[in-house]
Amino acid sequence: MVLKLKHALACTALTAGLVAGPQIAAAEMAYEGVTINILTRPGPVIAGRIVERGEEFKEMTGAEVRVAEVPFAEIFQKLITDWSTGTNSVDVGVFASGWGVELVDADLVENLDPYIENDDKIDVADIAPYFRDFNQKVSGSTYFITLDGDFQMLYYRTDVLADAGLEPPKTWEDYLEVAAAIHGTDMNGDGEPDYGSCIFKKRNAQSYFAVQSMAASRVQTKGTAEGLYFDPETMKPKINNAAWKKAFELYKATGEFGPPDELNQDIGDTRGLVTSGRCGLMIDWGDIGPLSIEEGSAIRDKVGAVIMPGSREALNVETGELEQCNADLCPNATDGINYAPFAAFGGWTAAINKASDDKVKQAAYDFMSYMNQAAQSNVDVTMGWTGYNPYRNSQLDDTSLWVEAGFSQEAAENYLGAIKESLNHPNMASDFRIPGAQQYTGVVLDRELARYLAGEVTVDEALANIEEGWEEITEDFGREEQAEIYKLSLGITN
Amino acid sequence: MAYRAPRIEDRGALAKWFEPPAIGAMAPGTKIIVYSLLAIWTLFVLFPIYWLLITSFKSAADVNNGPFFIPFVDYQPTLQAWRDLFVLDWQDTIRAYLNSMVIAVCATALCVLIGSMAAYALARITYRPNLVTILIFVAIAAGVIYTAFALGFDWRVSAAVGAALFFFLARAIGRRYKIHLGNGDILFWMISQRILPPVVVVIPVYMMFQSVGLLDTHIAIILTYAVINLPIVVWLMYDFFDSIPKDLEESAQLDGATRIMTFREIVLPLSRAGLAAVTLLVIILCWNEYLLALFLSTTEAQTMPILVSAMNAGERGILWWTMSAVIIVMIIPVIAMAAVLQKFISKGILLGAVKG
Amino acid sequence: MSLADNLADTARPEPRAPGAFRANRSFGARFSEWLDRHSRQFFITPAVVLILIFSIFPLVASLFLAFSRTRFRAGGYKSRFVGWDNFTKQIFGSEQFHFLGTFTSISLLGWAFGLAVTAWVIWAMAGYVRRSFTVIGFIGRLFPALMSICIAWMFAATLLSGNQFGTLGVTLFYVFVGCGVQFLIGLGLAFLCSQPIRGKNFFRVTFFIPLMITPIGVGYIFRMMADTSKGPFAEIWQWAGLGNFSWATDAWAARTFVIIGDSWQWIPFIFIILLAAFENVPKDYVEAAQVDGASSWQIFREITWPQVMPVAATVMLVRVIEAFKIVDLPNIMTSGGPGIATESMSLHSFYAWRALDLGQSAAIAYLLLFVTVVCCVSFFNLVVLNRVRG
Repeated sequence: MVLKLKHALACTALTAGLVAGPQIAAAEMAYEGVTINILTRPGPVIAGRIVERGEEFKEMTGAEVRVAEVPFAEIFQKLITDWSTGTNSVDVGVFASGWGVELVDADLVENLDPYIENDDKIDVADIAPYFRDFNQKVSGSTYFITLDGDFQMLYYRTDVLADAGLEPPKTWEDYLEVAAAIHGTDMNGDGEPDYGSCIFKKRNAQSYFAVQSMAASRVQTKGTAEGLYFDPETMKPKINNAAWKKAFELYKATGEFGPPDELNQDIGDTRGLVTSGRCGLMIDWGDIGPLSIEEGSAIRDKVGAVIMPGSREALNVETGELEQCNADLCPNATDGINYAPFAAFGGWTAAINKASDDKVKQAAYDFMSYMNQAAQSNVDVTMGWTGYNPYRNSQLDDTSLWVEAGFSQEAAENYLGAIKESLNHPNMASDFRIPGAQQYTGVVLDRELARYLAGEVTVDEALANIEEGWEEITEDFGREEQAEIYKLSLGITN
Repeated sequence: MAYRAPRIEDRGALAKWFEPPAIGAMAPGTKIIVYSLLAIWTLFVLFPIYWLLITSFKSAADVNNGPFFIPFVDYQPTLQAWRDLFVLDWQDTIRAYLNSMVIAVCATALCVLIGSMAAYALARITYRPNLVTILIFVAIAAGVIYTAFALGFDWRVSAAVGAALFFFLARAIGRRYKIHLGNGDILFWMISQRILPPVVVVIPVYMMFQSVGLLDTHIAIILTYAVINLPIVVWLMYDFFDSIPKDLEESAQLDGATRIMTFREIVLPLSRAGLAAVTLLVIILCWNEYLLALFLSTTEAQTMPILVSAMNAGERGILWWTMSAVIIVMIIPVIAMAAVLQKFISKGILLGAVKG
Repeated sequence: MSLADNLADTARPEPRAPGAFRANRSFGARFSEWLDRHSRQFFITPAVVLILIFSIFPLVASLFLAFSRTRFRAGGYKSRFVGWDNFTKQIFGSEQFHFLGTFTSISLLGWAFGLAVTAWVIWAMAGYVRRSFTVIGFIGRLFPALMSICIAWMFAATLLSGNQFGTLGVTLFYVFVGCGVQFLIGLGLAFLCSQPIRGKNFFRVTFFIPLMITPIGVGYIFRMMADTSKGPFAEIWQWAGLGNFSWATDAWAARTFVIIGDSWQWIPFIFIILLAAFENVPKDYVEAAQVDGASSWQIFREITWPQVMPVAATVMLVRVIEAFKIVDLPNIMTSGGPGIATESMSLHSFYAWRALDLGQSAAIAYLLLFVTVVCCVSFFNLVVLNRVRG
């Protein structure tokens, strides 16, 4: 089904390619004989578009683009072994930007600043501020090129909420109320009760992203630079406090209005339920929009998006307690509600191997830039099967492409509006971007969260364990070094 | 029939159901129980495979809105998954399929050849390795690896120095102490290699092949598979050879046949059944291995199990339909082989294993 | 027959022209003579060399990893020696709950069980010392003795005291309960198939199929099977009133599902070998016993079982070795969840490895290696050697 769409849209893609063609033609066939090896995840999602754009690129420049595909869970291991042991069979890795910091720290990634300086087509200013200034950069230099903008949003069934006479939730407390009100009603017309809320909760999957989304609005109030996880001076974890406790409890509470085996559902399972019309509320990345208009979807034009719910109270860092929001505590609040859309996963980004040949590096950069440029990416992000979500302002201004892709005008405006609001929010929360990110969140946070959800530990024990685990990892990597990188990742320079 | 079950008159009508009509035949009651138990198990074995088969003909919506059991009745089957596999991505699929075949066949051949030679040797020839020499070897090997791995010396230099040191020390010290091990110890050492969890060896093995530039080649995977399955071959074939009477070989040797000739002309033909069974087992293990293949291959040498895992598209969910198709495609050749070799499976492992 | 020809050939050396020099013989002939002189080494060297290359290097390399913190850097690794840190962390430190389990206080039942096992092991050791004593034999028995005491106390403090046990306990559960179930069912099926029934070949091939599926595939198949909302048993599940209960949320239910999947795959292995063993039991023995009026149970116990037992011991040893390495099924079915309830040691090591924590990963793998070796060697010595070979 996904692949059928691929063909239907191939024409659009081709036209876009032709339009862009003359711009790059200046360097015609400059890369004859150069091969760019790219490593990413398998299947049409992410990789499929790279292959197609690679063919266009070959026609323009002569460089051959070869895409190697490795199972999702093993990409990073594979990449870091390949680059650090000097195998260097991969020139470009396409992966989550958060993982990349470790590669940069290990001195394996090419600094892209000089390339960008000589590139007049990439139009960096058009890229949304969070992705431009945080996600692509480590320590102030650009190392990554964004292909996909990732942050979580709240989706709701417009028809279900309208029937119940409810507004989309603004805070997590509202979320639970709405979920409770619609839980058990039939949402897809098959006569069976459906679920109020669907949030993936499987271990070793994506659950730790969801809980961070819930915590963000209580922990971070003063803009992206405040950070979610540590005190930047001492690297003391900001985890064992009332805000995270509340987030854990909220996350568990949403399970009451979810499918019974939610504890073993990853995002794939949840999306299956969502597109077959069985969920009233859900959190997800940008993909739900394009997915909703795919063939076989039961929720075409029935799904709305809003910015991630916020909170009326926020963490007082000194006391570790929650306090009612006021102008001091929550300078970025709207109507007394503090929002902090969480850039979970950071999106699929490309990094170039420092050890590749200079000519290959230049070709690789040109290709990644080609994919990132508005002329190409603005088309790519409207197609569900590519897996690319918007990250440029120009992608959000023009609804015509989205309507062409199959959205109704109203749905397109709603979806793009929510994205725009999140993307340009000054209090967007950054994902973990220091070495060991996988260990901090993917192992320690995820495991304790899973144990809490399974009832093996209380929330207090879980948070205490996370604090201890994080301190150990920080010690392992070196407290000073970690603090340095953490500060830089938040754009703090002293 | 002369045979009559004793005291049959004392038993009730129900008991008659369980009275065998003749020796080597089953009573009707027993028959019912036996067949129904076998039928239940057949169902248990086949149902998941049936589900796999019908899932490969479902569309995403059929899977998500399921469960649907019977094609054409519950849902309209579609060839989408098979088309994705063999039309859209046919290059990847065919390449992985051929890779898997080449690797499984070559690795199995190598493994069975080397393994049965070693097993034969252990069953027929007495070895008395010197424990002290072995300890010296291990110590030097550890030293070589440490200097090359942790201290960063060139591994070729370290290895050469280590080899020289070993020969010197083995001659100087090894000969004075005579603590000998036996065949049993060698056998156990070989078998114990199978205990190692694969996660432990992945990175070192990767580095090994990287240093000789063999990553992403068939040779690397073939060698690795041959070695990890060697213990199984040695073990089962040892028992097998042990159970073959020695007379034939002895008379052949009296007639002047060399040991290699005896092995080739007498022992191997006699052990055809055992070899067939072991071959089948090893080829299945090679065909299905995942973790090592993942690390030793990038594109060129990618095998089928990686394709299976690739159908888990992460946040896009699992492409159940295509994944089912891949698994089915993977089973077909092995089933065909098992059907051909099934007579050997039973006879083969049997003879060897009887000796325990 | 080629055999006969060959024998004749060797018995009757080729007629050679008088005065022919040795050096005139073909290279091939000289090579095969050389090989024959060295046939002792020739037969075993390839296997020994290959295993040495592939076992010594990885074993030593991962031993270094286990005693260090290693990180990937440009141009290789950066290692820092940390001594026993990676191990103590598992046994006493912050990962204790993960590896061994959560310890609070030991319940009365736990005390009783722990003391009982300890007393029994000490009694058995004392018996051994009184009967016969060699230093090597004593040390050889000391390891399993100490380990069984430790494991007994581990279970006493966790399972029997209402606490959760860690990956060690989960692994042992998979190995002993899983292999036990698989052995019983495999034995039963093999026995049934060895009866004079029709369609034996059909059953033999059919029952063998699950073994041929890649373990990853089995994991995904059982994830489909066990799905309570869109899997094939969803309606039965609802009908049984379990619509709001999910196996994935209950520790023991999840472990049971993993064992069902594992059994589905591995019973064929046990079945096929035991079937061969059953078929090898001489028919005349059985028939003679039937004529003598022995009951079926007596025949099984007195005639069939002693013949099958050695095979059973071997096959179980192979199975136990493989079972300790269980990783794909829990990884795919539950990702080790709920909590850490289905996480085996192999999986524990795998997750550490995936997060690039190579030191911990290697340490856990070594602990697994230790437990497996002690269990398998004890099994080999106690069951296979003592009972079977006498």
